[in-house]
Amino acid sequence: MQVGQEIPALVKHPTTRQLVQYAGAQGDFYEIHYDQDFARSVALPGVILHGLLKAAFLGQLVTDWLGERGTLKSFEVSYRGIDVPGRPYRCRGKIVKVDGPKIELEVWGEDPDGNRTTAGSATVLLNE
Amino acid sequence: MATTSAVDRLRSRIGHTVAPISATVEAGHLKRFTEAIGDPNPRWNTEAPPTYLVALVPASMHLAEAEEYGKGWLNGGNRFEYVEPVRVGDRITATARVADVYEKTGSSGSLLFIIFETDYVNQHGRTVARLRGTAIRR
Repeated sequence: MQVGQEIPALVKHPTTRQLVQYAGAQGDFYEIHYDQDFARSVALPGVILHGLLKAAFLGQLVTDWLGERGTLKSFEVSYRGIDVPGRPYRCRGKIVKVDGPKIELEVWGEDPDGNRTTAGSATVLLNE
Repeated sequence: MATTSAVDRLRSRIGHTVAPISATVEAGHLKRFTEAIGDPNPRWNTEAPPTYLVALVPASMHLAEAEEYGKGWLNGGNRFEYVEPVRVGDRITATARVADVYEKTGSSGSLLFIIFETDYVNQHGRTVARLRGTAIRR
């Protein structure tokens, strides 16, 4: 575990079907995630990914990397831009601080043009 | 401006707690959630993945008065703090409060920010997680 080390990327392929699945599982039925006409009526290009779905993707990035080696202590995401289904969503992260068993990561999600549409951080505590 | 009074009324809610909501972590719901996010990790057969609590109980209170402001909601961000794992069978009680309400005016117009804080407590009375969320009206 070294500062600057990047963790394995995770590429997700969200579809409109997944947005409907997620809307049902989370109980978030805001129409911008499944109704194209509604989404356009509020000045969006079409239906967009739930911020919390992108957070779930970034959570998976961290837990896949961490495995059983430690515990996730905090996780923060801020949504900077929109993402639409049908475009790959690339989750990335790197170690920014190592303080004994406490590791801090910068995590982010990128669209295919390399725009960081989601930015965040995670803190994990490695097992003794 | 009509929206100014909506902002004032929302600001009067700062510090107010909404009635707690309780729910039990069910294996079937957890499975639907992990399928929806596309995370096949077998660990999530019995344990909640990092963002699951928002699906178990509402993460934020989409205050009806706020809908007078702007035309749509956006999620600005979420911060989770984890104290102990949440597992199938746990009974979780979420208590949410409005932590802050403020307006920002930028080049593309005005935005209303509502900050929510939620504490999640399990059946043993122990806090398992905390969430801070930013809901935006634009």
